[in-house]
Amino acid sequence: MEAELINAELVLPTHFSFKRIQIYEKYPKGQPRGRWKHLKQILQAENYQNCPPDEPNYVNIESPPSMHPPLRICDITGFEAPYHDPRTNLRYANTDVFKLVRSLPNEHVQRYLALRNAAVTLK
Amino acid sequence: MPFVSQIKRQTDYNLYSSTTPIVIDNGASNFRIGWAGENDPRVIFRNIVQRPRHKTTGETVSIVGDHDTTLLKYFDCSRSGPRSAFDSNVVYQFEIMEYILDFGFDRLGANGSEIDHPVLITECILNPVQSRSKMAELLFETYGVPSVAFGVDAAFSYKYNQQHGICDKDGLAICPGFTTTHVIPFIDGEPVYKGCSRTNIGGYHVTDYLKQLLSLKYPHHMARFTWEKVEDLKMEHCYVATDYASEARLFQKGTKEAEEKTRCWQLPWVPPPVEEPPSEEEIARKAAIKERQGQRLREMAEAKRSTRINELENQLRGLEFLLQQLEQVEESEIPYFLKDTGYVSRQEIETALAKATQSLRKVKGEPKGEQAEVEEKTDEKYPLVNIPDNMLTQDQLREKRRQMFLKTTSDGRQRAKQKRVEEDLERERKNQLDEQKRLENPELYLGEMRTKYKELCEKVEQRKRLKTNGNHSNGNGMSGGVGRGERLNAAQRERMRLLTTAAFDRGKGEDNFGAKDEDWQLYKLMSKDNDDDDEGPDEDETELARVSSRLQEIDPTFVPKPESGPSQSAADMPRSRPLTKEDFQILLGVERFRCPEILFHPNLVGIDQTGLDETAGVSMRRLSSKDQVLEERLTNSILMTGGSCLYPGLSERLEAGIRMIRPCGSPIKVVRALDPVLDAWRGASLYAAAVQFPQQTFSRMDYFEKGEDWLRGYQFQYNL
Repeated sequence: MEAELINAELVLPTHFSFKRIQIYEKYPKGQPRGRWKHLKQILQAENYQNCPPDEPNYVNIESPPSMHPPLRICDITGFEAPYHDPRTNLRYANTDVFKLVRSLPNEHVQRYLALRNAAVTLK
Repeated sequence: MPFVSQIKRQTDYNLYSSTTPIVIDNGASNFRIGWAGENDPRVIFRNIVQRPRHKTTGETVSIVGDHDTTLLKYFDCSRSGPRSAFDSNVVYQFEIMEYILDFGFDRLGANGSEIDHPVLITECILNPVQSRSKMAELLFETYGVPSVAFGVDAAFSYKYNQQHGICDKDGLAICPGFTTTHVIPFIDGEPVYKGCSRTNIGGYHVTDYLKQLLSLKYPHHMARFTWEKVEDLKMEHCYVATDYASEARLFQKGTKEAEEKTRCWQLPWVPPPVEEPPSEEEIARKAAIKERQGQRLREMAEAKRSTRINELENQLRGLEFLLQQLEQVEESEIPYFLKDTGYVSRQEIETALAKATQSLRKVKGEPKGEQAEVEEKTDEKYPLVNIPDNMLTQDQLREKRRQMFLKTTSDGRQRAKQKRVEEDLERERKNQLDEQKRLENPELYLGEMRTKYKELCEKVEQRKRLKTNGNHSNGNGMSGGVGRGERLNAAQRERMRLLTTAAFDRGKGEDNFGAKDEDWQLYKLMSKDNDDDDEGPDEDETELARVSSRLQEIDPTFVPKPESGPSQSAADMPRSRPLTKEDFQILLGVERFRCPEILFHPNLVGIDQTGLDETAGVSMRRLSSKDQVLEERLTNSILMTGGSCLYPGLSERLEAGIRMIRPCGSPIKVVRALDPVLDAWRGASLYAAAVQFPQQTFSRMDYFEKGEDWLRGYQFQYNL
């Protein structure tokens, strides 16, 4: 390894004296790592449905959907968007933006939609 | 201020006794580790791990935090980006967590056989037990930590600010963090978990939103928008608008104020070298080269021509000699004589001779000459044409037929020639007429010509459109892909229709096709010959060409319309334009407040949850205290902490938002933490230094005896 790298101590050593179990013992090279759980799986394993509903837990402290009127802004410019293009589903502010919207390639339209999680997803 | 990590290795690790706790603020964005009782953490770095492959040795290494990016050139980072152990503030990948802890302890200077200090580590509020127990397992079994305590970062920050008199013992902590935003109500200095609420939005989303918006706005500079750069831009330029709609309107109208608010990031740009016009010398040199080449070509052509003339002359001489010889040969002997010359009869030789003379003349460039002369002789050439059939023998009849054929063709040719001459005359006459008109009244004439040109243009265009069936109802105009059917013209489409109906009709109902004569007409319609696609330029087009050329002659301002539609040339225009400084500027206008706006309106990024201000209301509702005085006390001490509350204007906006949902006249005070980023660690450090801290921890013995399930009930007392 290059001297530059060693001087910068960029790479994490694999052996530390202060550890009881070294990382190479826990995760041997070339062998499959033990499956870690996704957050969703962790939450499922918690069995929150068995807990009393008034007891706070990670899931039920999540805030509810907003009661305020949703802010609708132009997907391209960020201005207030009174209009909505039924073809592309993009919101737009005025005629100039509309022209732009119609000239956008579909890929960009989808990326704009993906920003607010409204893109067409193929499964 | 861009974030700078502190990763210098500490040397005083051994100076601390084994009772001094180590304090870790394990945030989703940054990892901070230091000693209890001190004011600042010793080591701070981004909570990420990269595992690239070394380019030469091929081994996979771990790199924790962010380092000098130039050093990463030795690694192949294309397959693994920076990874985080967190998902929505919950640690779930403990392998990554272990690398991070390794690095953190190592840089703190740890060098014994184990970490012989109590550890206070922060976690998210109401962390799932599994995550907490895994963390305990890691600390106890791998690092040999004697005892561990888990606390909530926002609570430590609140307590720290409470001690400094920023907020009261009753209040709300609003903590917009990196991946989540928490609101925690405090009563008597203790967090009330029942009233907590969490929105899954934070600084990460703001940066990501900005990154996406910029790369959509400037697709050519996409590579410039690295995560780190955009994070810096966000920290430097973003602010929260007091009222989004009015602020946006300001920008929409393009007012001066908005212009002042627009920030510009100039990317490195070097003006392209100015092309010098070629010097006189250069031009002369080039002209000389061209001239030389032309000369050579001319010489070559000349040489070729002379050889050809030579050849033809030789041939002619040979043929003439042959003919002379033939004079002396008997009629019956001719075939025998000609056997080895390749010719069969005298006539053949004569025709060959004529041909050779003609081509020789052509090569020499002499005029054709006797064309007319030949035609004079037509009558003598076709002597048999006017003689009635019954007077001729069989051979003569055949000859007559041949002559008839030749005569008609030559007649036709003559007629065509005459027509051409007449047309020329006609055109000449028209031109003269035009000229006369022009001289009489040039202005009027020009106007007339122009209208005529316009009319013709439209006519021709319409015709073209009809032919190609320019179906422009497609909403995307030019850019949209043209469907298959739209390429066919009207006639072709009609044929298609006929074919499909015919195919569809087959096999259903009784087949009485052909009973009527008209039925067969169908095949004619279907046949391909129907297409009058290539009938050549029609008269409109020729007239258009004439008018436009005439206009070009007399009107200096006239510019003929380009052949291919104007849209195409317009699209080509900007591409050919040289790049200027402005093309390398990234303008931040609306984006400056649009991105932080997602904290208040998470629906802008598709997260259907309450915004920052509304969440505060939700928390109060969840408390359901029905105690007006308590609620007023809470709103009178709202503390903002966490990295995402650094935006200018946030506290004003938050206050306005909370005022809207509170009863009229209720006191509202929103304050920002002393240091929203580091206060959590400082609070934890103070807490761990207190005498009562050991009672709040649980030891390795507890862990081995009671197991991880005990952790479920583990509750921390923040009041000491």
